[in-house]
Amino acid sequence: MSDLDNDKRLNEILEMIGRVAALDFSRMLPVSKNNDMIDAIALGLNMLSEELNSNVVEKSKLDSVNAKLEKFAYTTAHDLRSPLNSISGLVTLLELTVNPEKNSEVDLYISKLKATTEQMKSLVQGILEYSKANVGSVLMEDIDLNSVLKSVIDTDQLAERALIKIIDPLPCVYFNKSAMDQIIRNLLSNAVKYSDKKVCEIVVHGKEVEGRYQIAVTDNGPGIAPEHQEKIFELFNKVESEVKADSHGIGLATVRSILNAFGERIWVKSSVGEGATFYFTMKKRR
Amino acid sequence: MEQRENDKIKFTYTDEGILYTDCFANTVMTLEDGKESTRISAEMVNYIPRPLLCDLTNVVSMTQDCRKHFASAEHAATFSKCALIVTSPISRVIGNFFLGLNKPLKPTRLFTSREEGLKWLRE
Repeated sequence: MSDLDNDKRLNEILEMIGRVAALDFSRMLPVSKNNDMIDAIALGLNMLSEELNSNVVEKSKLDSVNAKLEKFAYTTAHDLRSPLNSISGLVTLLELTVNPEKNSEVDLYISKLKATTEQMKSLVQGILEYSKANVGSVLMEDIDLNSVLKSVIDTDQLAERALIKIIDPLPCVYFNKSAMDQIIRNLLSNAVKYSDKKVCEIVVHGKEVEGRYQIAVTDNGPGIAPEHQEKIFELFNKVESEVKADSHGIGLATVRSILNAFGERIWVKSSVGEGATFYFTMKKRR
Repeated sequence: MEQRENDKIKFTYTDEGILYTDCFANTVMTLEDGKESTRISAEMVNYIPRPLLCDLTNVVSMTQDCRKHFASAEHAATFSKCALIVTSPISRVIGNFFLGLNKPLKPTRLFTSREEGLKWLRE
């Protein structure tokens, strides 16, 4: 083939690359019977385009299914709250009406009924928070992390259960306020819940790394074995050695889900017996 | 030695117990061609997996479904290991796609010479 022909074929290849980059898989490149290197490149691009198209179609179907499942989870959790609150109220009324003798069988059954109801309410609330974490359009704003931390500590009365220290003023980040509250709340409450020390100590620190902020929440808890460090972020996954009665395996999954939805990351560094540090990234304020 | 052929492929099963498949010039392989190839291969080796030398040199195109079929359990049942001979640019692309994307279930390697491929099959 002449140089002019080859230039034409190479231009067609460049054009095709541009189309595929724009997710336009409608064009196929001509492949001649010469079986030369340009033919091989053209065929390779055609095959890649075909594979990408299949993946895009598959992803689109999966995204649609996921969106329906998320909506279902949210709606179901939302609708379950009301009857659960009713059950909770009725159990309280029952207790007041029956007024059982302390430590009697009836007293024991009512206590178990209350505890189970609270557990179900907590689980439903967790599912609701997790499914809300994937909502697309949210208000982004500049947030002072020091204020968020103080607010969560005060609201949840964490100062009574842990020694929380902030190293240097934390930065201002660009994020959604209620999502930020939830992240801080989940990380701090997890540190308190799983603490195995007489005094739970938590240190919060932020620094700039490669144009973003990296926030670290370090505790003096039992630590997390390497084989569990990815699993703890999975929904409903609980580390067997540290199962707590009020743990549903949703908190960290929610935190990761929220952060991923905003294009941020979370990971943990820990050794057994040496506490854990949860790191997550945040955009700098505008 | 036994030989068979259809309009796209020549099949040779030697007394040494190696099956060879050679495509005719400018072959375009479709899913139907792949299934037919599997059927003939299975009959020739008497349904016992044997080493396979598959020369893709003359193949100018292979559909996505055909590649998937050759990576399937159905086709894997016909061979113990496969040497793919890829001496032309297009066959190299097809061979690499097959290995990298479709991931055949039995040991499969690409060779640019039949001699090297046979040497590996005889190991």
